[in-house]
Amino acid sequence: MQDVGKVRVRVPSTIKAGEVVRARTLVIHPMERIERDAKGQVIQKKYNYITKLTATYLGKQVAVFDTTQSVSENPFFAFAFRATDPGQLKVTFIDTHGGKYEGTADIRFS
Amino acid sequence: MEGMTRREILGTLGVLGAAAATGAVTVGVPGPATAQQPQFGQQESVQDAMKRLFGARPIKDAGGLVKLDVPLIAENGAVVPVSVEAQSPMTPQNHVKGIYIVADKNRIPVVTHVALSPEAGAAFMGANIRLGETTDLRAIVEQSDGTLLQVKREVKVTVGGCGG
Repeated sequence: MQDVGKVRVRVPSTIKAGEVVRARTLVIHPMERIERDAKGQVIQKKYNYITKLTATYLGKQVAVFDTTQSVSENPFFAFAFRATDPGQLKVTFIDTHGGKYEGTADIRFS
Repeated sequence: MEGMTRREILGTLGVLGAAAATGAVTVGVPGPATAQQPQFGQQESVQDAMKRLFGARPIKDAGGLVKLDVPLIAENGAVVPVSVEAQSPMTPQNHVKGIYIVADKNRIPVVTHVALSPEAGAAFMGANIRLGETTDLRAIVEQSDGTLLQVKREVKVTVGGCGG
């Protein structure tokens, strides 16, 4: 579990100014699912899973995901944004144990 | 952990334990900062979830306006790729405000919600989700004027992915 919190952000290699671009992001995270004991009772504990993903581009929020335990392990998300200026696309994940994981991608025009 | 004495480590573990204990009481209830928002991640029936999220607001059939892309048969319920695309001009006056993904038979039916801003340029989202069993999957698109559009598709799941 060395890689927990590793964030990857991918954008297309060629972007034209003003284009609507689809970005893909992935974080290495266990996304613990609800466990039950032999009687089928839910084990009450603080499960570690991602609850929020915030994507900002040039300081402006473009997409905010609220996520639950119904999302896969090592969650992958995709979203779109309009690439107006060169700058940074930043994605922040927050989990229930207070972990904050960030990844960035530089938007450059070719 | 280097540089920490045994006492310090035990102390930290104690604090974590206490946090876990309080967390157990408030499972699914986010902190005060998000108290006004709809709460996600609860174990409930899909009817309760829909009522909680949308109240009595009418949900229209989206027809061709919203495209829900999901495999017909998901061999592995633990990872099911799903993407939603809605036709919208995405102007500040008329844009898609949010997209909900709801899996009817999951124990936690509200899978994810994404809040979009007009800067997004296109009403699109994708995610990998878990499905516990063969279920109807809904994508509900909330437009800036409050209209709700729904697309429903059945996904057959060979091996469930939600565990207990």
